[in-house]
Amino acid sequence: MGAYHFVFPRWSNALLPTIAVAGAVVPLYVVAMVAYGFSPLTTDVGYQPIQPVDYSHKLHAGELGIDCRYCHNTVEYANKAAIPPTQTCFNCHTQIHKDSPKLLPLWESYETGLPVEWIRVHDLPDFAYFSHAAHVSRGVSCVECHGRIDKMEVVYQHETLSMGWCLSCHRDPHPHLRDPALVTDLAWGFDFSDEVRRAHGEAFNHKNFDSIVPSTDCSTCHR
Amino acid sequence: MPSVDQQPPHGKAYWRSLDELADTPAFREFLHREFPAGAADLIDSGQRRQFLKIMGASLALAGLGLGGCRRWPKEKITPFAHRPPGRVPGLPLHYATSMELGGVASGLLVTSYDGRPIKVEGNPEHPTSRGATDALAQASVLGLYDPDRSRNLMTVAGGQRTTSSWRAFDEWAGKEFQRLADANAKGAGLAVLSEATSSPSVNDLKRRLLARLPRATWHEYEPINNDHELAGSTGVFGSPHRTHYAFERAKIIVSLDSDFLHIHPAAVKHTRDFAATRRADDPQRTMSRLYVFEPGYSLTGANADHRFPVRGADVGIVLGLIAKRLMGELRPSSSIAQQRFEQTTPADVGVEQAAFDRMIEDLDSHRGESLVVAGRRQPAEVHALTHAINEHLGNFGSTVSFSTLPDAQAHVASITDLVNNMAAGAVETLVMLGGNPVYDAPADLEFAHHLGRVPTSIHLSLYDDETSKRSTWHLPRAHYLESWSDARAFDGTLGVVQPIIAPLFGGRTPIELLATISADRLSEGQAIVRRTFASLGRFPDVDRSWKRTLHEGFLAASPSARQPKIRRKGLGDFVGDIWQRWPGPESEGFELAFAPDASVYDGRFANNGWLQELPDPLTKLTWDNAVLMSPRAARELGVTTGDMVTLTHQGRSVKAAVCVMPGQHARSVTLALGYGRRDIGVIAQDAGFDFYPLRTTDAMGFALGAVIEPTGATYELAQTQDHHALDTISGRGAQERLPSIFREATRQEYLDKPGFANDHHHTGAHVVHRLSLWDENTVQGAQYRWGMSIDLNACTGCSACMVACQAENNIPIVGKDQVKRGRELHWIRVDRYFKGNDPERPEAIALQPVPCMMCENAPCEQVCPVAATTHDADGLNVMIYNRCIGTRYCSNNCPYKVRRFNYFDYHKREPVREGGALHVTADYYTRPQTDTHPLKQMQFNPEVTVRSRGVMEKCTYCIQRISAAKITAKNAWMKLSDDQKREDPRVTIPDGSLTTACAQACPAGAIVFGDLGDPSSSVAALRGHERSYEMLEELNTKPRTTYLAKLRNPIPDLIASPNPRTPDDHTGA
Repeated sequence: MGAYHFVFPRWSNALLPTIAVAGAVVPLYVVAMVAYGFSPLTTDVGYQPIQPVDYSHKLHAGELGIDCRYCHNTVEYANKAAIPPTQTCFNCHTQIHKDSPKLLPLWESYETGLPVEWIRVHDLPDFAYFSHAAHVSRGVSCVECHGRIDKMEVVYQHETLSMGWCLSCHRDPHPHLRDPALVTDLAWGFDFSDEVRRAHGEAFNHKNFDSIVPSTDCSTCHR
Repeated sequence: MPSVDQQPPHGKAYWRSLDELADTPAFREFLHREFPAGAADLIDSGQRRQFLKIMGASLALAGLGLGGCRRWPKEKITPFAHRPPGRVPGLPLHYATSMELGGVASGLLVTSYDGRPIKVEGNPEHPTSRGATDALAQASVLGLYDPDRSRNLMTVAGGQRTTSSWRAFDEWAGKEFQRLADANAKGAGLAVLSEATSSPSVNDLKRRLLARLPRATWHEYEPINNDHELAGSTGVFGSPHRTHYAFERAKIIVSLDSDFLHIHPAAVKHTRDFAATRRADDPQRTMSRLYVFEPGYSLTGANADHRFPVRGADVGIVLGLIAKRLMGELRPSSSIAQQRFEQTTPADVGVEQAAFDRMIEDLDSHRGESLVVAGRRQPAEVHALTHAINEHLGNFGSTVSFSTLPDAQAHVASITDLVNNMAAGAVETLVMLGGNPVYDAPADLEFAHHLGRVPTSIHLSLYDDETSKRSTWHLPRAHYLESWSDARAFDGTLGVVQPIIAPLFGGRTPIELLATISADRLSEGQAIVRRTFASLGRFPDVDRSWKRTLHEGFLAASPSARQPKIRRKGLGDFVGDIWQRWPGPESEGFELAFAPDASVYDGRFANNGWLQELPDPLTKLTWDNAVLMSPRAARELGVTTGDMVTLTHQGRSVKAAVCVMPGQHARSVTLALGYGRRDIGVIAQDAGFDFYPLRTTDAMGFALGAVIEPTGATYELAQTQDHHALDTISGRGAQERLPSIFREATRQEYLDKPGFANDHHHTGAHVVHRLSLWDENTVQGAQYRWGMSIDLNACTGCSACMVACQAENNIPIVGKDQVKRGRELHWIRVDRYFKGNDPERPEAIALQPVPCMMCENAPCEQVCPVAATTHDADGLNVMIYNRCIGTRYCSNNCPYKVRRFNYFDYHKREPVREGGALHVTADYYTRPQTDTHPLKQMQFNPEVTVRSRGVMEKCTYCIQRISAAKITAKNAWMKLSDDQKREDPRVTIPDGSLTTACAQACPAGAIVFGDLGDPSSSVAALRGHERSYEMLEELNTKPRTTYLAKLRNPIPDLIASPNPRTPDDHTGA
């Protein structure tokens, strides 16, 4: 009698089926998004753009055994391991295979002074700062981030270059350290067991008064 | 500000604006908000819904497009075909060069990154700059990349302005100047108008030109010139002299309307030398004492121990009275002057007799270590008599020295000659090497009118400006960072100007243009400068000396040992002039005092966004100038800040907005020049008011008898003075806190109580409880503990640090409309407080730079929901942009108010000009997105993230520099031999090798940065200094930035202590 009974309005009848549908779709969506986030498509592992010059690292760095630093000669003292100037190619190629059609774009650059437009493979976000010199001088080999370049006909991205991947090494550097004299020896250490590899890194760090303590502060890479 | 008239409800010690002094409701409202009203609104309330719609749509679109793409666009790497020797991609290089302003060069060191100049610093080796710079030099790099700079030659063909080319010009010029050089003409009809320049190459070419064309005339004009100073020195010494001051040796300084610490060609050196006399670190606490007489506040006046607001026209009388007391035998001859000489007292010009007497005693008892300095606005007789007094006081050879300026021209006379020639039809061809006379020539000359009647006029200029548009040829000028030239510093040191980058828009330099018109054998700037260099000295090996000079940036001049003698004969007339020309204590109307602006100088930097947004050090005005008027005058006229008035003088009138400025003389208004530019660029457009139309040949410094009438209209001014206030409780709260925020004492108090800065009775600071609400950051064992010390005693408030920070850290400008909403992004600000109870005459001004305090117990970190601001191992409070979601809680919780929020993507979508100001308009998000202008992108420091919308940012202690220094030090250590490593197993960064941008720029050396963990570092020593204190230490934030308390040196028994509190009214914590 006059008592007020709360009743759900009519439209609320539709809520139940909506919730049921959402319950089915949302987990799928979450799974899909996580899978998407970790897929190589997103992380770009395997990214292998076609470069303007048909240049083979496998031939030059692998078979011919040219040291990485012959071309990427700024790696030990600059943040960037600079792509060499066209001039560097012609230190040899004015003598060797100078008529090869593969060299045409390089000849063009050499004559006109215009750059060869290489496509960046290893592309960090603009808010992440990385110094090649800081890593190479402390015995982090090229191979740790770039993979076996000496076996790549065309360079591709070998690692995820994600923040988690960076941190995995910053938290536990020893399996990735070696004598800086060996940094460009990409084949070194592949036949070692994990323990031996780690022992090498620890020995090297110890010899340097355990001074290699990679920082995990945000400000190490982000400024 | 209607309530300015009211007396303050209770005596206030410090206040930053008249609103605060009167404690208006508007001010209270302002303080209680974290950001000003509307700061958090998008544009207007109706926009929010629209915004959400668009954001939703763009998210959906982004989702659709995710599938096949990489995460970010493809990038190209374009290496050199032939890499120049010494160039390493990604390693910055430093080049020494010079920037000439008003005929005086400052020695600079420019950082070039991959061929792009990105930062200007002072050249540490240069004798005048010593590694420091002013704000103008810091901002000059932005001028290089100004998209509004002129890109095309313009000429008039068939009555229409059309674009042209250098080829067409060269062809035309070849014939034209050959014709002028003909045997009959010998240059008749040719006139050259140059800016003031000390360039030996320009002078050499001038000589060659006049040799080839002997009937040509050469004129010089700068709106900010030294005519009066030169006339004064010519009068007493017989030839024009430049005065050099040795402030480091001066104990008593009297400034007669001279802003020697700020807008002076040697201000950087003066600031350094003056600061050296203020440190009071010896046992006797020796300090200089500065007296300033001026009509409106200058930065020098703000740093004075005793400042007297006097009209510009009365400054000469102050000097006359000083001379009367010190050199009584100097009497004027005419009867009116004699009568005035006898009867006038300091009180007639508003100076207290007691203070005046003590100043005379001070001067008299400090012979050989005192200094009287006259400002360039003051007439010749003031300069002449100032020299006489300095000689009388034995200051010649001690605190004052001279160098001759044999080529000096009187600028006003020179341009008057030129205009007379133009009016007489004697000028057929006028070549203008820079300058902008249509805009800045004295109004009574009507330069624009007469220029229209010159058949051929050529204007070389950075912008297609007012003069260019009225000339028959406009030629784009190369920026100094693109130029080969040379110039002399204030002390005569020769500096070479070398290009850091090839001309972006194909501009040419005055030297190259002169070479063209004088048909010189050489046409390239470098070759001409090299030729001049070879002629300047006897070099055993010219080539080696040249290379060395290019590397060092300068060639030291042999010190001039010239010691001129005062000629008594001329002096008497000058003394007569001082008394004769005085309008008397009361005169009709207002005095207009013209001053170069702290940001745009004479107008040439008007299109520089960093300088436009840099708050004036004293008025805190951005994007505008205004009629600076005393509160009393404003009350009498019934106007207040933001009201429009008409200024009328000799039939010429200008409408402009009023800004009420405490400390201004009631009968004098200060007018900053250089604003009100039209059609030169989006930044300068309609910013401020052009006061040049009031400035005439006989009133270049002051104009008397002006009439000011309110128009009834209003104008919005953007002042930052109340922004980022530390005190959220106005009124009584602020009064209690400010003496503890800005701590100061007199020299006497410091002698009595050396530890005053941390004495609660003195500062009124709360007692500190070192109790924490949470687990404190432990930074023990950290290898570095970066810290900063700011010496308030050395800081003059010049704001060079603000621009240096902006350049180093990719800080965008936000536009006037955004500044009004409190959204300016400067990471370091300079707080300005007035002190005392009388708005007409504040006791003093307190200036305090505030960067991030880098609290060890950082309140901001505790409230960030996503841990975007955290501590790193060095104890720095770091900001991680990529984590920030823009809640702004951190800013809310920051007691120092040093955090800044990117409300918009200011770099990408620039504010547009609307209604006279840069605005973020309603179509901000619907406008097609543009990339950052490629030219502006060139200035970015690649070592610092360019922040986008929705991100908090703040001072980082230039963490990019810290990282670079660490990496360099560690790499070097790794290269040591095993034995060396064993000897020195710790990687160290030597003290002084690493500094922040603000500290590097500071001319006073007030900011010191370093490792607090290194007990031998200078910053650690300063932290242990007895004047060192922490701001708001009662909050237990443990700031890494600390201050050294300010000292003032007033006459001990004359002026009460600057400390408003007495122990009695101290109530404790």
